[in-house]
Amino acid sequence: MKIYLKYGALISPLGNDIGSHFNALLHHESGIQLQKEEGFDGAALYLSKIPWLTENRYNTLLSKICDDLLVNVSTALLQSPKTAIILSTTKANMEEVDADSFASSRRIISEKFQNPNETIILSNACISGVLAINLAADYIQMGTFDEVVVIGIDVLNDFVINGFQSLRALSDEPCLPFDENRKGVSLGEACGAIVVSNKGGADFSVEYLGGASSNDANHISGPSRTGEGLVRVVNKTLDRSNSKKEEINYISAHGTATLFNDEMEAIGFNRLGLENVPINSFKGNFGHTLGAAGIVEVLMCMVSMEKNTLFKSVGFEKLGTTVPLTVLSENLDLDLHVVLKTASGFGGGNAALLMRKIG
Amino acid sequence: MSSLKEKLKVQIIEQLNLEDLTPADIVEDAPLFGENGLGLDSIDALEFIVLLDSQYGIKIEDPNGAREIFHSLNSLADFIEKNQK
Amino acid sequence: MKIVAHSYVNSKGVFLNGDCVQTRVDLEVHFLNDLYRKLELNYPKFYKMDTLSKSALLADFVLTPYYTEKPELEDQLQLIFANDESSKQTDLKFIDSYELKENASPSLFVYTLPNIVTGELAIKHKWYGENTFFILPDFQTKFYVEQMEMSFARGNKYCLCGWMSNKTEENEECFLFLVSQSENKNVTNEIENILNTYRNE
Repeated sequence: MKIYLKYGALISPLGNDIGSHFNALLHHESGIQLQKEEGFDGAALYLSKIPWLTENRYNTLLSKICDDLLVNVSTALLQSPKTAIILSTTKANMEEVDADSFASSRRIISEKFQNPNETIILSNACISGVLAINLAADYIQMGTFDEVVVIGIDVLNDFVINGFQSLRALSDEPCLPFDENRKGVSLGEACGAIVVSNKGGADFSVEYLGGASSNDANHISGPSRTGEGLVRVVNKTLDRSNSKKEEINYISAHGTATLFNDEMEAIGFNRLGLENVPINSFKGNFGHTLGAAGIVEVLMCMVSMEKNTLFKSVGFEKLGTTVPLTVLSENLDLDLHVVLKTASGFGGGNAALLMRKIG
Repeated sequence: MSSLKEKLKVQIIEQLNLEDLTPADIVEDAPLFGENGLGLDSIDALEFIVLLDSQYGIKIEDPNGAREIFHSLNSLADFIEKNQK
Repeated sequence: MKIVAHSYVNSKGVFLNGDCVQTRVDLEVHFLNDLYRKLELNYPKFYKMDTLSKSALLADFVLTPYYTEKPELEDQLQLIFANDESSKQTDLKFIDSYELKENASPSLFVYTLPNIVTGELAIKHKWYGENTFFILPDFQTKFYVEQMEMSFARGNKYCLCGWMSNKTEENEECFLFLVSQSENKNVTNEIENILNTYRNE
């Protein structure tokens, strides 16, 4: 059985649809800006924030993407008992944490789509998005569902900002993934949706080949110094995809721009023999969008595959890892065939998936 | 100095949620970090920075350079004595 | 599928395969810390953990004899965990740390993700395999069985499933069950019955 990934919807500071995002990334745009009065000392922080989200931010954003999906995807598909919805989020709606931060997600999706299946909520730190796509593919492979709509979402709030600040993980300038001057993360918010399906169709889609997750078994908030989890997850992904590493044309890395993460990825990709494959991070465009990251970044991989264009890794000028990587310092027109997406996250998790262009 | 050290022991236990420990369990010249010490790690180092700021008004900009300060209770107490505002 | 072993922790004690291994003794301290000391877990990191991780570590500890001589656990074990409230208890403590105490605590923040539990277990046992955390409104046997079916179809040999609920302090429960791919049995009813028995102890 072939499994397909199709565009669903995408909302970020860079735009409200796929087309706008293609243009934005083509022109190296970034949603990261200096935002006043953020952080626990009320100073200014570089964040990628959606400007029109004011009140009730999480619920508003989730409702909006559901509305977009109702336009972009057929209502019949969304309502079908053979369709499942998976939500990928790290914190859901923290404005309702005193009660239940996940309740509004179930309610909004249920009201908008009228789907008879309970929404599946996956909350596994920053690898949630890639995990969710892998899970969707599994359900389809099993025959449980014909289509799965995967929605990834997280919004900025005091909780997350204060948290990353307390870890001293935030950069005091826009993040510089893989760069020698990188100082940390720029947080961001976004919402993306992908339709995973057992049917192709007229609209653009890519083939999902396989995926996996792993654990570094090292530290709950710091990555493994040897990239052990990343190496294992990529090997497992290749195995399950019946593919060889030589087939990979492009890697969309996690690239959060912390000293440790980017170094770990460099070591991992070198151990895998992938140091000569063009690689970038989308964190320079979107910031780190946590539970949305995997979905948003896979959508941009799909855009790259549709247009045969790789995007410059925004924020990158000179490599700052101890082992080599082929980081994209400019856009590159390339006939893409097989693309690898990786993600890593708190809890020591790693996830990866492999996609192939059709035709 | 010894009253500072006793106070520090209580503060460390509280700040780092080391519920099972009593001040008597913290040996003053023993390493705090690593498996043979109190099992503290890089996150706990950040908590020390919070403690130094909130309790003693000392700000540390670079956590990596501060590892020597946090080596043992003695080194921590020495540092506070010299730098407390 | 075959249930290799199961364990359960709540304020009454720690249970293994239906039998009580350790009852709670000291009422002056939180029951998780009391059980930790009585079981002599000897894992210093325990005290820094939140209640989700603590309860999982205890339930995991009594399952340890079932991990021996199973080399597949290193890379072919999937951790399938879920709860109903994510890390809510720790979330509220973290919020207090910056709203009331004006000092955002990094050691609290690292526990404000529910999947840290699976990370802690992976670290303890050097398990490098797959791991996923879900938010479910309540324990759903069918959901876990579905996840395990897909996991085994992907090539995993064992699943360690976990459910933990911590709606209020002192009311935590943690249920772990280790399942192997061997045998062509439907374990749905068995799992359902095991949990009901534990809850009614």
